[in-house]
Amino acid sequence: MSLIRCVGLHKTYVVGGETVTALDDVNLEVAAGDFLAIRGPSGSGKSTLANVIGGLDRPDRGRVVIDGVDLSDAKDRQLSDYRNRTIGFVFQSFNLQAHETALENVISPLVIGGVGKRRERRERGLRALERVGLSDRANHRPTQLSGGQRQRVAIARALVNDPKVIIADEPTGNLDSTRGADVMRELVRLNQQGMTLIVITHDAAVAQLASRVVEIMDGRITEKAVAR
Amino acid sequence: MKIADQFRTGWRNLGRQKLRTTLTVFAIVIGAMSVTIMLSLVTSARGFLVSSFEKTGEDKRVIVTGSAGLSYREAVWARPEGSGRRIDETTLAEVEAVANVNSATLFAQIGQFESMAFDGREVTLQNTAIVAYTPNGTIRHSLLAGAELSPDDGGNAMLLSTDLADDLGYAGDYEALIGQQVTLRYRGDMGPPEAQKPDETLTVVGVMASQDGGRISVDLERGVAMQTFSWMENSGPNGQKETRVENPIERNGYTSIVVDARSKGDVERIVLDVESMGLGAAAGKDEIDAQSQAFTIVGAVLGGIGGIALLVAAIGVVNTMVMATLERTREIGVMRAIGATKRTVRRLFTIEAAIVGCVGGVVGVIASVLFAFGLNQILNQQLRERGVLDQNIVQIAPLVALVVIAVTTAIGMVAGRLPARRAANLDPVEALRYE
Repeated sequence: MSLIRCVGLHKTYVVGGETVTALDDVNLEVAAGDFLAIRGPSGSGKSTLANVIGGLDRPDRGRVVIDGVDLSDAKDRQLSDYRNRTIGFVFQSFNLQAHETALENVISPLVIGGVGKRRERRERGLRALERVGLSDRANHRPTQLSGGQRQRVAIARALVNDPKVIIADEPTGNLDSTRGADVMRELVRLNQQGMTLIVITHDAAVAQLASRVVEIMDGRITEKAVAR
Repeated sequence: MKIADQFRTGWRNLGRQKLRTTLTVFAIVIGAMSVTIMLSLVTSARGFLVSSFEKTGEDKRVIVTGSAGLSYREAVWARPEGSGRRIDETTLAEVEAVANVNSATLFAQIGQFESMAFDGREVTLQNTAIVAYTPNGTIRHSLLAGAELSPDDGGNAMLLSTDLADDLGYAGDYEALIGQQVTLRYRGDMGPPEAQKPDETLTVVGVMASQDGGRISVDLERGVAMQTFSWMENSGPNGQKETRVENPIERNGYTSIVVDARSKGDVERIVLDVESMGLGAAAGKDEIDAQSQAFTIVGAVLGGIGGIALLVAAIGVVNTMVMATLERTREIGVMRAIGATKRTVRRLFTIEAAIVGCVGGVVGVIASVLFAFGLNQILNQQLRERGVLDQNIVQIAPLVALVVIAVTTAIGMVAGRLPARRAANLDPVEALRYE
């Protein structure tokens, strides 16, 4: 049974008076433990798809059902709760809070979700940092970390609340190839441990690591066979 | 998000822009201070007025005069001449018979002395009121030394106000003046030269706070005797010499009757009863009410000015919070992505603004307390010089302090509402893209 099921997703934007179709009858199923890469040129709608699956954005039409829960009619509170517990986001530009330490950044989903007491949060945060190999950087601020380390902190943040799915939007886009490879290795390792992974990328090398690749163009998707 | 975490986060976020936060808080501090100080000054002044009236029993006092329509202040210094009923022993008996009158005394002004001499010093009495009354407890003073006049004094006692005591060289050492004999010298122009009387010598039994200038109080009988002048005059039908006795009190009656009511609640009834007898009656209570009302109006005006200061400060809070939401747009996007509800975002910003208001209020109240302390140091000195016993009259009432803090906090919340809502309604996808 699939973990994520997208049925007939439509989404249009109005940009500068022009209507842009970001999603056009998108149907997609993702099974638990999948590593799905969504590829496409910029403006193709791949980020919109990721945002709709992640509960950050709502489709104009169509449904997203995750783990049996239909997000279509979810209220802000339910959707926020879903983003907090079920999804872990990793962004291209890391989006860490500069005034907070790595650990504080990592535990922020626990703080926002009202999970546990301070001590428990700290322990879980340290464990998440350990998983990405950065437990010795817990008290460093983002400015004291390299780009790759920052993205690994962001991955730890995505992991900390034990989500079902990690959605990474161009996770290597701001990194050189070596650091990008490090980050991808981290994500692949998580996938091998059973984490469902959706990576948005236009990088063929990244897509190659995935178990499934879908291409998106003008809001329509086509599945590519993957040879592993 | 737990409420404690929201406060912690709000507090931390404010610390990220220390200068801006400090300036915004400072504006609230100024507003809170002006409201607190202005309200406290007014309530303190009113409290001081009321307590000084209560201490001397003036809140229960009714002054009965021959003619109606005088205010309390006018009644105190009323002149017996002119229209209206005559005030004398008969009138006193009538007034004493009025229900709920605790005690009453005739009251007269004595005006024939030009100076007071003691221990080689001579002090002019030109601006001094010399008054006489029966020492039966009706009239009481705020005393700095000694005691009130007493029926046991045999009419030889006097009370002096502090300014006269100061003129005699006893400033700050009023106790030393108690028991001393002071001489009052008559004016030289009271009737023909042969009417000139010898000086009067009285013992100082008490020193009282001065009000409206210098004052000397003496026993009523002695006072009446002081007003009596007699001389021989060729005024008989055959030009023979006759003794002529002149006393303005006996001719015109007394100035007034001072009444002490059993309780404050009886004052109004007594006033009506006395007025129904064709006399004038003025209550000390009315004077308190009139002055209190004046203080209330002044308080409202000054409080309004403080309120405007707070309003301006509130605009500062709006500005600060709008800036904060703009600067943190992307951060808001991240928060939303990792699970913050709109409500959480709105609350975070509202709490931040409330903290600004609350801290401003608390600091403003603390600053006001310090200001009041400083002001009291100055006022205490001046009050002591004027012979007033009260000290530290400017007090910041705890209720005023609490209300001011509550109001500034509420102002912060209201001012933060619009920016907070703006932050909460940001589209997370747009916010994440914000540069």
